[in-house]
Amino acid sequence: MSDLLYGVITGILFGFLLQKGRVLRYDKQLGALRLKDMTIVKFMLSSIMVGMVGVYFLSDLGLVKLSIRGINLGANILGGLTFGIGWALLGYCPGTSLGAVGEGRWDGLWGIAGMLVGAAIYAEAFPVMQSTVLTWGNLGRITLPQLLGLNHWLVIILFIGGSLALFRFFEKQGW
Amino acid sequence: MPLKSSHDGGWNPYVAGALSGVVSILSVWVAGRFLGASTTFVRTAGLIESLFAPERVAQMELFRLEIPQIDWQWMFVVGILLGSLLSSLSDGSFRWQAVPDMWAEKFGSNKLTRGLTAFSGGVIAMFGARLAGG
Repeated sequence: MSDLLYGVITGILFGFLLQKGRVLRYDKQLGALRLKDMTIVKFMLSSIMVGMVGVYFLSDLGLVKLSIRGINLGANILGGLTFGIGWALLGYCPGTSLGAVGEGRWDGLWGIAGMLVGAAIYAEAFPVMQSTVLTWGNLGRITLPQLLGLNHWLVIILFIGGSLALFRFFEKQGW
Repeated sequence: MPLKSSHDGGWNPYVAGALSGVVSILSVWVAGRFLGASTTFVRTAGLIESLFAPERVAQMELFRLEIPQIDWQWMFVVGILLGSLLSSLSDGSFRWQAVPDMWAEKFGSNKLTRGLTAFSGGVIAMFGARLAGG
């Protein structure tokens, strides 16, 4: 029960910040895809930078356990490309579609309905995917630091450095 | 860095983003939960299908891995809607709108055209997201 309570509290905090950052809107999401407005990229990279430092710090102290997703090149690449097409048409991602409805942009409801249908279709196609795409380039549960053979803090510092350089570029461009 | 961004009354996206990173750390620390949303669509699709064909759903491979039930992430996704509602009501940015401004500029203000495109995009996006494992 407390697990479900933590879920809704975390969602409220996260949704509040997504809305304050103005990243839920179609115009912001398409603005990024059209290289006109990088608000969502600023928000995402800031969130990832802070999150990766905190989570790895707690992991080093043995206070949390990382949840590593398997790398599966075929599925990651084909799925990513497919997601991108759908995202550009819809203008919301799975989480932000709910947030968009929360701030009154109810075209998100069409997207939610479509995504439920897409999930049902994927469930039908899953056995076929398991014997095809999901076997292509399966590298197992590895992280970037493991793949590169580097200490994770070095990778984190490089990621932060790259993100800050990107932010500087965005601000110069007026994006 | 100013907290308010000048034009639309929202917060600076770097600040709001960094705070959301703090939320994600606390979630992992306190509840042992990493943030995500798309698995919830699979579970919900399974819950809806179970109303009509429970035996069939019980036999499907994906629904055995991602059991149709209300879990932490399901509540998180509902929470996003509530948090956005609270935030937008608190600063007056809530707006009941069927066609986004940028869409209307390019494609006109027909609600059905926007709706059908959003629906189709949703189908494609979720298939891709689940395939990619996100």
